[in-house]
Amino acid sequence: MAKLQRKAKGERPTFFQDSNVDKVIAMVMGLAGEVAVMHDRMGTMEHLLEKKAGIKRSEIEKYKPSPKVMAERAAWREQFLGEVLRIVEIEQEALATGDTQPYDSAVALVEWDG
Amino acid sequence: MSDSSNPIRQAEHKALPPTTHDEFARQEFVRSYKQYLVKNVHGANQLAYDKRVKPKIKREKQRDPKDRFEVRDEMVHDPHYQMFSALLRTSQEMMWSSCQIPVQRNLESMNKIINKTPKKPLGSLRLDPTLATPRYHTAVDIHCQPGGYHSEFADNDASAGMVYDRGVHLYAMGQMGPHNNDIGASIALWLTENHPKFKPLKILDLGCAVGNSTVPYVDTFPNAEVHAVDVAAPMLRYGHARAEDMGKTIHFTQQNAESMDFEDESFDLIVSHILLHETSDKAIRNIIKECGRLLKKGGMMVHAETPQYKGMDPFDAFMLDWDTRNNNEPFWARSHEIDLKQLSEQGGFDPNKEFESMIPSAFQITEAKRSLTFQGGDFGGGGFWFIYGNEK
Repeated sequence: MAKLQRKAKGERPTFFQDSNVDKVIAMVMGLAGEVAVMHDRMGTMEHLLEKKAGIKRSEIEKYKPSPKVMAERAAWREQFLGEVLRIVEIEQEALATGDTQPYDSAVALVEWDG
Repeated sequence: MSDSSNPIRQAEHKALPPTTHDEFARQEFVRSYKQYLVKNVHGANQLAYDKRVKPKIKREKQRDPKDRFEVRDEMVHDPHYQMFSALLRTSQEMMWSSCQIPVQRNLESMNKIINKTPKKPLGSLRLDPTLATPRYHTAVDIHCQPGGYHSEFADNDASAGMVYDRGVHLYAMGQMGPHNNDIGASIALWLTENHPKFKPLKILDLGCAVGNSTVPYVDTFPNAEVHAVDVAAPMLRYGHARAEDMGKTIHFTQQNAESMDFEDESFDLIVSHILLHETSDKAIRNIIKECGRLLKKGGMMVHAETPQYKGMDPFDAFMLDWDTRNNNEPFWARSHEIDLKQLSEQGGFDPNKEFESMIPSAFQITEAKRSLTFQGGDFGGGGFWFIYGNEK
């Protein structure tokens, strides 16, 4: 069976000093994607099971989420991504609020005049 | 805004590969992932620039950064920009992968469906196996689609088209509408509003890929004969099957837009949709010259692109330039700095009839909701398209 090419031709850019960090990010997000797939599948099973007990795999494959369900799932994924990328979000928050003082400055404050 | 409360579902047609439950869910994740980056991660690049990078440049040079290169030299070391870039690049790779999986699974059956000639075809398909794929097309796989537009993995393969049609939908996060046709629809709308007397009878779309931007011209100008060319056979096979199933009459031919076999002065309207930046400095000049040859007097060419860098803040230009190095768009930067008036003139056009304009997205006029945030980088969230063209 013919097999599609998996790598796009061209040197892959890296952004971190250690290019393995770039690869780890690709792995983490790949894994996050597969968790989201499982979540959708579980949601589909719940929908089908609300209607009747005993469902076939083919019914899961045939299930087409309504616009309402699609919107619910998109909202779930946004929150999920917020949790996976929490570290990126809090660093942005620190940058925005100016919470960038070194920890030692707090130690100095309470030790000397706090 | 890439509105997660109202996800757009891609319109189905016969050529679109079917997905299992999980294949669809995987693609939906990529859409959400891209939306998340636009909404929650992209913006902090500006913050990192304002608070960390720009002050550093000012300290060292005793002045503001003068161009996107100076911004680039420092931004590439900023931890937020590094993380954003790694995440965006990954989203692009996951997008293609998620589109490839169902295509790989259905490769044989879908190629059969796509290559089956309809009993009474509306349009036509003419392929040229002797046509050389231009070097600017094969140097790297553009947009990081593995195999690019041109590679074939089976006999009469249309897999590149199958992957592309779904990929465009995800890339634009649905914002090009259910038929991925927003760029063509926006130019067609702009023409009817700004040139109401212009009724083209023969239209040519250059670098049409799967013809997603070609279709709106069939709808807007029902009396016109519509042609579309591309160098990539897999795209054209798919585009033909797609157009036939949608009931749209389009004549597809495999040709290089630098040199086509149409007669002189045989078209009223020639269009292209984010094609020019995929070519080369030499090719872009040949293409404009070819437009000049093919257009009738009183005809018009209109090319949709993203805005030129000229006059742009160095930081904005740097961000818009993301795709040049990170999304396999080697001509992106240079094509955004070309003097378009001069390009027209070299192509034999009257530079006084050259025009450049930002036009609103047709889909967004109906949706009336979209952020003005660019994804990288690239289009897919602007709410506006940049057009360049010339009347003849």
